[in-house]
Amino acid sequence: MRTAHPEDLGPAPRNAAQLFQELMRFRVREILLISSPYDAFTLSEDGSLYESLLDEYVGFGLTHMPNLTHVSRGDEALSLAEEPGRFDLIISSLHLEDMHSVEMVHRLREQSIDTPVVLLTYDNRELASLLHGDRARVFDRVFAWQGDFRILLAIINLIEDRANFERDTALVGVQSIILIEDDVKFYSSYLPLIYTAVFEQTADLIAEGVNPAHKLLRMRARPKIILCSTYEEAWEYFEQYHETILGVVCDIEFPRAGGPDVAAGFDFARNVIQSHGDIPVLLQSHDAANRARAEEVGASFLRKDSPTLLRDLKQYMMEHFGFGDFIFRGPDGTEVQRAEDLRALEDALLEVPDESIAYHGRRNDFSRWLKARTEFDLAHRLRPSKVSDYGSIAELREHLLESIRQHRRGHQRGRVVDFDADTFDPARSFARVGGGSLGGKARGLAFANTLLATGALDTESTGVRISVPPAIVLGTDVFDRFIEDNDLLAFAIRCNDDAEILDRFRAAAFPREETDALLTYLGAVHYPLSVRSSSLLEDSQFMPFAGVYETFMLPNNHRDAAVRLEQLLDSVRRVYASTFYQSAKHYLRSTPYRLEEEKMAVVVQQLVGAPHGDRYYPDVSGVARSYNFYPADPMTPEDGIAVVAIGLGKHVVDGRATVRFCPRYPRHLIQFSSVEDGVGYSQRTFYALELPAPDTATAPAEPGRLVVESLERAEQDGVLGAIGSTYSRENNALYDGISRDGTRVVTFAPILKSGLFPLAEIVERELAAGRRGMSGPVEIEFAVNLSVPSGTPREFFLLQIRPMAIDREVERLAVVDVAPESLVCRSTQVLGHGASDNILDVVVVDPDRFDRAQSVVVARELALVNTELEQQSKPYLLITIGRLGSADPWLGVPVRWDEISGARVIIETQMRGMRIVPSQGGHFFQNLVASGIGYLTVDGDNSESFVDWNWLAGAPGDYRGTYVRHLRLHDPLRVVVDGQRGRGLVAKPGTWQR
Amino acid sequence: MKATLESNYVSDVMAEVKEKHPAQPEFHQAVHEVAESIAPLLEARPEYRKKKIFERIVEPERVVMFRVAWQDDRGEVHVNRGFRVQMNSAIGPYKGGLRFHPSVNLGILKFLAFEQVFKNSLTTLPMGGGKGGCDFDPKGKSDDEVMRFCQSFMSELFRHIGPDTDVPAGDIGVGGREIGYLFGQYKRLRNHFTGVLTGKGLGWGGSLIRPEATGYGCVYFALEMLAANKQEMKGKTCLVSGSGNVSQYTIEKLLQLGAKVVAVSDSAGYIYDEQGFDRDKLVYLMDLKNNRRGRIKEYADRFPKAVYTAVDPKLGYNPLWTHKADCAFPSATQNEINAKDAENLVKAGVRLVAEGANMPCTPDAVEVFHGAGVLFGPGKAANAGGVSVSGLEMSQNSQRLSWSRDEVDAKLHHIMRSIHDTCLRASERYGRKGNYVDGANIGGFLKVADAMMDQGLS
Repeated sequence: MRTAHPEDLGPAPRNAAQLFQELMRFRVREILLISSPYDAFTLSEDGSLYESLLDEYVGFGLTHMPNLTHVSRGDEALSLAEEPGRFDLIISSLHLEDMHSVEMVHRLREQSIDTPVVLLTYDNRELASLLHGDRARVFDRVFAWQGDFRILLAIINLIEDRANFERDTALVGVQSIILIEDDVKFYSSYLPLIYTAVFEQTADLIAEGVNPAHKLLRMRARPKIILCSTYEEAWEYFEQYHETILGVVCDIEFPRAGGPDVAAGFDFARNVIQSHGDIPVLLQSHDAANRARAEEVGASFLRKDSPTLLRDLKQYMMEHFGFGDFIFRGPDGTEVQRAEDLRALEDALLEVPDESIAYHGRRNDFSRWLKARTEFDLAHRLRPSKVSDYGSIAELREHLLESIRQHRRGHQRGRVVDFDADTFDPARSFARVGGGSLGGKARGLAFANTLLATGALDTESTGVRISVPPAIVLGTDVFDRFIEDNDLLAFAIRCNDDAEILDRFRAAAFPREETDALLTYLGAVHYPLSVRSSSLLEDSQFMPFAGVYETFMLPNNHRDAAVRLEQLLDSVRRVYASTFYQSAKHYLRSTPYRLEEEKMAVVVQQLVGAPHGDRYYPDVSGVARSYNFYPADPMTPEDGIAVVAIGLGKHVVDGRATVRFCPRYPRHLIQFSSVEDGVGYSQRTFYALELPAPDTATAPAEPGRLVVESLERAEQDGVLGAIGSTYSRENNALYDGISRDGTRVVTFAPILKSGLFPLAEIVERELAAGRRGMSGPVEIEFAVNLSVPSGTPREFFLLQIRPMAIDREVERLAVVDVAPESLVCRSTQVLGHGASDNILDVVVVDPDRFDRAQSVVVARELALVNTELEQQSKPYLLITIGRLGSADPWLGVPVRWDEISGARVIIETQMRGMRIVPSQGGHFFQNLVASGIGYLTVDGDNSESFVDWNWLAGAPGDYRGTYVRHLRLHDPLRVVVDGQRGRGLVAKPGTWQR
Repeated sequence: MKATLESNYVSDVMAEVKEKHPAQPEFHQAVHEVAESIAPLLEARPEYRKKKIFERIVEPERVVMFRVAWQDDRGEVHVNRGFRVQMNSAIGPYKGGLRFHPSVNLGILKFLAFEQVFKNSLTTLPMGGGKGGCDFDPKGKSDDEVMRFCQSFMSELFRHIGPDTDVPAGDIGVGGREIGYLFGQYKRLRNHFTGVLTGKGLGWGGSLIRPEATGYGCVYFALEMLAANKQEMKGKTCLVSGSGNVSQYTIEKLLQLGAKVVAVSDSAGYIYDEQGFDRDKLVYLMDLKNNRRGRIKEYADRFPKAVYTAVDPKLGYNPLWTHKADCAFPSATQNEINAKDAENLVKAGVRLVAEGANMPCTPDAVEVFHGAGVLFGPGKAANAGGVSVSGLEMSQNSQRLSWSRDEVDAKLHHIMRSIHDTCLRASERYGRKGNYVDGANIGGFLKVADAMMDQGLS
């Protein structure tokens, strides 16, 4: 790895006149982050990143807190980085808007720019393929993002440590920890932990310091971490610095002498302990059988796949490395308060002495601090506030306070603020309760909120109020405390009975402080609520966890606030419990994550809708995607697709009958091209929340009840007029609106065709804004409330925004023209991108036996075969009929995601005599794409696409039940899916060569 | 000798047809089927052969093929190909649907037009045969695009049609909306408000009883079959399959005539209601299927005495057809009654089967019915009610009158009686008494052939 010292990079940075400049001389001051805005937002979330950086940098009076410059394009990065010494560190995500990051680094090096470049990637699959080849070597270090913002802190510290280690060790003998680990994912999750522990220890040291200068020295002299990937590298460090090595944390299998060595760790441990018996060594492995051997050589041992690995590791470090408690001190040399957030800053401004305000005012510290927290508006407002502009310090102080208050009052929108009863606006605010992360879903919401607030989606031109529903988020710390206080972790990880988990969680005590906050919150809000999971891993790119955890709805209309509170707490507990349900555990097993890494935040949000008697529902719910996998002329994939339904969104995400439209061509409704099909497959019922009488004496502490209602009800409620059309049997025609007699059909014609509400325009604009914000295709969930009091604007609510999981591999795969005789299947409608040549097992729904009425049985049979093949780790090709994963068993096979999770390639064929438009609203679909499964559609109308049923019927295999056949082939199939050109094929065994 | 004559004649005609109409397999097939079924007739009527009636009847009187250029919503220009095959006008103006579908080509339209000639003839109404359409794909088109296309299509077609010349109707891809746009354009070009199209909206020239026509007609046909055997519908126990338009109105008419309906089905299963349907149950069923569009299973939840049986694909037959009854009205889908079902029906005492759907009985099943002496009303006769009401729409337009439901219903009954009589007479005359399949084939052909004879060479 290259190291860069400021001296080499240009003029010395500002504020260098510090006493302890000699230590930690190389600091990362300027970071260039190259990623989509959403990735950047993910990192900084709501400012937590900067809080942490502040804790370390500003909090200890080290004035050079790093600045983060963010760009989303490679060419922009290249031109910015040209300026010598401009950046100390470049952090890049894998895909940039205009080029691959590998290409970007090559061009950087061609321009002789040697700033360290670190790759921070979100995509485990691509990471694996990148590491497999040589291409990753262009990066100074590769890290995997796993939902913990502290990775950034770890990266900065690691880069700094590597640069300063030699010098600092020589100067004052700073300690170091050698971490030997060549697995990117593992060191990416270790490093933040080890650094946190290091800072904690340092804080202890500072507390014991005798004077400020001493404290500062100790802070700067904190132990360094040396990350090594090979035996030789590690041993060289050890030999040279053994006097100052605090400990060794060591993998067992890592490269030695140019190749992998399964016992390198044992040798390393033995050699260390033999030469320095007092240096603790911790060995780690996936294989429990290694424990004995580790103990033999005198090392400690931890299993890498232990669900509590992180806790164990921390515990080990606590015990063996001597780490203890952590206390923060204020900024500046003198005793001053600490401000954790804007509110704390405001409080502190009331109390701190004039000198302090003058001091910081001169140095623009307020402005700088706010900028780091992305409070740009306020920062800019404060910047011209020099002391000389004011008659007195008191005036300056008043100006500062007033600016902050104004800001807090006026700009809660687009911000995640700490919940505060005084400022919480039940119609608009987005606030948090408790610390920790917001989780994936809430992060998406917060990002949407930011998009709206920054005017990307202005409301003026449409006359519609566009917003994110007001919400509070219970941070992951609340979850941690709940689990810890009630001692639930070990039980929940171990327990295989969902009902038992639920019982224990429901009976557990909720943290006092948050209970009070929720009671205050309920005092302000009197609308129905939606209680949604927002886990760390949920909705992270490429790992959607869509629909894995639970969501609850609450009428929140009981007269007694205590009843409402109990209902809310019960729902939160249920969401917590669902973290540990079998389906979630099962899902996690199919991901690279450990259950212990998963933490749950909870979003408590206004449920969008309007009361209609004893029912509550929105006029429209929908999901839209900026990329359409099934475009029909004249649409292009980039025109996107939306699916909408009347009532609550459950109808849409369950994949039931909806109206699909392209936001650019809202009048081109494919599904109503044929009157019979349009009427036959349209929405007939919808979901609503039951509103019980507000004084029900025996109101249960349970979530609200969803009820299925008929269109008749919607018509009585006056909702159908904007949504419906009328089918006339007499005239064999579908008429827009419901003014004529006939059968009511949900078509959304009055909205989409007659311009009753600019739904398509808003959806199109939001998709475009989301696409810009995330530098890639996005998916949004939304709801529309047209049932508003007259004179108030109709409302469009953005419920979720997340990156769409689309594979964009660098290498293209060629689907060459292969003779049809040698193919099992060819398709011109595919999803995914990749090739596979190791599939020996084929699971086929027999087309001759298949029967729509028995699709539930088919699903059960598929699940059984899936379980068996998954246990044997055999990937398989699934060939099915109708819409897969449909909630309506009449449209296809209603399997859940985990019932076919072992399939690597799926071929969906058309049901005989029935045209079924593939669902694009379902969670199922999202999971499918995210898991990188090749998905081929064979449409009877298209002669280019076919399945060779005869060949399948002749292949050796047996029936597994009545409808499902399991074929066992002797030679593998070859599957090639070219998602960019929309072609895919499955070649018969023996017709192709590796 | 007879077999040789028939087969020689048929093969000669087929050879000529294939030579003159190459690459139109659908048309060849249709001609072949008609030629086979009327071979005995051609032997009995040498004048037909002399005047080359069959050779003439397979040749369309006129085919119009034209360019249809239209602009989509983005201003892009598209060019499609429009057709009107005017097959035969011996007994009335050309009559037959327009089809908008990418699969449309001349061969398919000729095949459809050829079949239409005999279907229309059988109704006993003055309607010739034709068919038309375009390779336009309505899938994913906006209303405005469909309108512009229809206007362009009619801008050429209007010169070739008229209330006394050619009266198109709807078909695949042409529903009420398209008929409206086409009619509007015709009116604009001709400045005539006439019955130039059927399938019009009720408020502007459409006829009542269109959704009911097929179901009512099927029951009337069955009624006439019974009457010819000195029986009545009253008191008969009936099985009806399906639960769509045809089934619902079959049940309604059966109830009006005093029959007892005990079974009805959908694709998931069937209901057996031993007590029989009544008006209230039918109203419930119609609301369930038409408005709520629910599953028939719910019927059994609402009326607990009814028994619901789910479809069991492991059985080689449909248990619906095993219940004791007098009459069966298969009105669901193609091939829903196989030979096994037919045997079960015979065993269950069924003496009459009338096809409400298109070809619900397999050829094997039909053979079983004929072998057991069951009265069998084939779809081409028994479900001709739909076509008939199109004819009645023309009549009302010509008279500038809109008949009441009862009037249309009465006329429909009258037509179905005529169809029945035509079939029965033809079957009698050509030695197949009671075989309504042959009767329908021969009856439809005879009327056209005789008209052509009468009108001289053309």
